[in-house]
Amino acid sequence: MEMIIGGAYQGKLAYAKEKYPGIAWADGRNCTEEAVWSCGGIHHFHKWIERKMKNGEDVSMLAEQLIRKNPNVVIVTDEIGYGIVPADPFEREYRETTGRICTELAEYAECVFRVVCGIGKAIKES
Amino acid sequence: MIHLITGGSGSGKSAYAEEWLMCHKGNDSKFPCLYIATMMPYGAETKKKIERHHRLRAGKGFQTLERYTDLAGLGIPENQGILLECMSNLAANEFYHEDGSMEEVGSTCERILKGVSYLVCKTPCLVIVTNEVNSDINSYSSETEQYRNLIGRLNQKLGQMADRVTEVVYGIPVVIKE
Repeated sequence: MEMIIGGAYQGKLAYAKEKYPGIAWADGRNCTEEAVWSCGGIHHFHKWIERKMKNGEDVSMLAEQLIRKNPNVVIVTDEIGYGIVPADPFEREYRETTGRICTELAEYAECVFRVVCGIGKAIKES
Repeated sequence: MIHLITGGSGSGKSAYAEEWLMCHKGNDSKFPCLYIATMMPYGAETKKKIERHHRLRAGKGFQTLERYTDLAGLGIPENQGILLECMSNLAANEFYHEDGSMEEVGSTCERILKGVSYLVCKTPCLVIVTNEVNSDINSYSSETEQYRNLIGRLNQKLGQMADRVTEVVYGIPVVIKE
């Protein structure tokens, strides 16, 4: 498993596509659950978490499930936890849950790259 | 040489940028370093910020030039170095009209980059201070989302053009590209 993380609009997906050419991507904004388990890479991963939470699904085992079902997946996800704590209770929960899930996945991942201004830098390397 | 400096609010980007430029500026020109200030003084809070920056720069030998839009239209002499501060204000000035309407993201980005290219022609050493505003939960109005898209695109393009990129974290320079 490898992760590409960073703020929104940093060029994470372009960086990932160059790094992993030819893999099949799922888009967390609209892909099926099946696609997540079988894809080579998923982008907008945080949006997939948000969709599941909005559906009222339990996401507490999500990291574990993903590690078990698609251990070699490349995950492209936004860092969303740097700003002010949101006033909206759902957003608060979504923001924190995303952080917890990504922390768990980053612990498992061999490599984590953080993209700033379009430039990726490894913050964890195997 | 282009050095792009990014970071969060109040992280010490300006102080680092000024110091770095003073150590790395060229000596060929008799003309001193230029400081291009892009923040419009539209209220007490911004005036206070601007005054703080004036104090920070005092005695460092910068000539201050206030310019809120259209860098390409600046008539400036060849100089030892330029500090452009900051991209997030320039982007907002170029993007939003006074009546609240907005320009198109792509063309605004192109226009700003053209302005940056003009500065590159005029100086051996350009330092650009930008701002990291996109590491937050993204549930903004479409107007703000477009601005976030614009500053993100600009930062990517500038990161590509730059010879050095540094993220300043609480005054600590973290090398992103060199």
